[in-house]
Amino acid sequence: MESLRLVGTFLRIGVQTELQYRSNVVFSVLQSLVAVGTSLAVLALVFSHTDSLGGWSGDELLVVMGVYVLMGGVLRSVVQPAMNQLMDDVQHGTLDFVLTKPADSMLLVSIRRIELWQSVDVLVGAGIVGFALSRLDTRPGLLAVLGFVVALALGVVVLWAFWLLLTTAAFWVVRTDSLVELLSGMYQAGRWPVTIYPGWLRIGFTFLVPLAFAITVPAQALTGRLSVWLLLGAAAFTVGLVALTRWVWSVGLRAYSGASA
Amino acid sequence: MEPAIRVRDLRKTFRVAERDAGLGASVRSLVRRRYREVAAVAGVSFDVAPGEVVGFLGPNGAGKTTTLKMLSGLLHPTGGEVSVLGHVPARREKAYLGRITLVMGNRNQLQWDIPALDSFELNRAVYRIPEPEFRRARDELVELLEIGDLVRKPVRTLSLGERMKAEVAAALLHRPQVLFLDEPTIGLDIGAQKRLRGFVAEYTRRHGASVLLTSHYMADVQALCQRVVVIDKGQVLFDGGLRQLTARFSPHQTITVQLAEPGTDLSAFGAVVEAGEGRVSIQVPKAETSAVAGRLLAAHAVTDLTIEDPPIEDVIEQAFSAGRTA
Ligand SMILES: Nc1ncnc2c1ncn2[C@@H]1O[C@H](COP(=O)(O)OP(=O)(O)O)[C@@H](O)[C@H]1O
Ligand SMILES: [Mg+2]
Repeated sequence: MESLRLVGTFLRIGVQTELQYRSNVVFSVLQSLVAVGTSLAVLALVFSHTDSLGGWSGDELLVVMGVYVLMGGVLRSVVQPAMNQLMDDVQHGTLDFVLTKPADSMLLVSIRRIELWQSVDVLVGAGIVGFALSRLDTRPGLLAVLGFVVALALGVVVLWAFWLLLTTAAFWVVRTDSLVELLSGMYQAGRWPVTIYPGWLRIGFTFLVPLAFAITVPAQALTGRLSVWLLLGAAAFTVGLVALTRWVWSVGLRAYSGASA
Repeated sequence: MEPAIRVRDLRKTFRVAERDAGLGASVRSLVRRRYREVAAVAGVSFDVAPGEVVGFLGPNGAGKTTTLKMLSGLLHPTGGEVSVLGHVPARREKAYLGRITLVMGNRNQLQWDIPALDSFELNRAVYRIPEPEFRRARDELVELLEIGDLVRKPVRTLSLGERMKAEVAAALLHRPQVLFLDEPTIGLDIGAQKRLRGFVAEYTRRHGASVLLTSHYMADVQALCQRVVVIDKGQVLFDGGLRQLTARFSPHQTITVQLAEPGTDLSAFGAVVEAGEGRVSIQVPKAETSAVAGRLLAAHAVTDLTIEDPPIEDVIEQAFSAGRTA
């Protein structure tokens, strides 16, 4: 409860801050249009040659793409800004101010900065999903939509935990930021359902870079591919990943304070 | 009375990777790193009583910041004991962190893009300050620091002095009982230094908080601190009042006289440190001050005579060099 209120206050102030930079919205929309346009062109090109890809029809893949765009918006508006702030704080020694606050430090570093205008992609992504759904032969039922919402929420947590894990491990413990960039690039692979990738890549995109749980699983919910077991698996994975991230965070803290040396 | 801060034989050793210049050395260091131990704090002990303002002095690299970081729970001590308000800082308990504050003159905690008032709101949420208390504390700080107009402007548009005042306000909203101030006046112009200093004095008088203050400006220390702890190379050189510091480390006093006939040579009385326009200053061993003054008055037509302790900066300098040769 206390944590929710804390997040609420930071969100409110964050949005206020961003409202100063209203003109950024134009840039974000343009950026979004270009990205979506390119993706649609690729999709159209692929489906001019074939009717289905790894068992997914064109419209179903459009659902995946919609979720991909939506999650990308979450990633760029909330997750990445917080991580950039964290790296800044480590570099400038201002992390000290976070660590001397009587609040959960992992939570606090995650909510200190948002980029509101990047969340244009959340709306665009939702629009694409809606459009794709309207073209599907079988519309998802209430239960499927519910499953989608839960999977999406889990996906957001997975993305956040994974990015924080990487940032902590790569930057704080090892002190390089190149790894973070490299893996950010890998997010792009999420525009296709992970099930169409060959075995080892599929496993990698499921567990190493958890694109499956962030993007594919929510899309599966809307296209009649989600079982209760898969959803439970996603929940278990999310819990495990958050626990792992927490542990790495505490290792980072100990290294920082010299408690482990 | 139980001290607010209790430090016993506190130690912090950093392990730093060593690397020689040159490509070969770099490659070799990848394979096998060599480490060097830096004893930043090497056995420091002192107490601070509730409501006491103590100056924590020492040259660059003496270990002041490292000590403050251990006191505020950021660094784990390598050895020794620390207790602040009955807590062990390294445990970083919320109950502890809610009762202290850390201000660092060279680092900002206020967010750059937003007015300080918004950052205050964030701190209200972080410290879970009830609304009426928050408003009371905020209004008091805004008034004492005279920052009523500034807190509405984005922090990036403030001058350094204005920003520092806003920083201090943000750090005190939760009414901490112990303040760690690490060079809060660094880089400020004389006027801003003075105002901030006046504020700290007034704040501690009102709220009885304990303060550990490091500063390079002796005026800060003289205005605020009843007591100083001087450290160098991670060890305490002196702990006591400013006057005792002078008595202990400065064996000299300065006698300045105004002579009726200019041009008189006074070098027989002591080392002449300044001479001109009939005004001459000589330095004499402290034990002989009154005797020399008496002889001066007897031997020359003196229209004015003053006896002064050397400036506190010089005394501190003396303390450090005494510590080095000891
Ligand atoms: N994180 C660190 N790693 C290695 N050495 C450090 C670290 N922090 C401080 N030191 C060293 O410890 C000594 C004391 O530093 P510090 O406490 O910052 O001194 P002061 O604040 O008195 O100027 C210095 O020699 C400094 O180089
Ligand atoms: Mg320092």
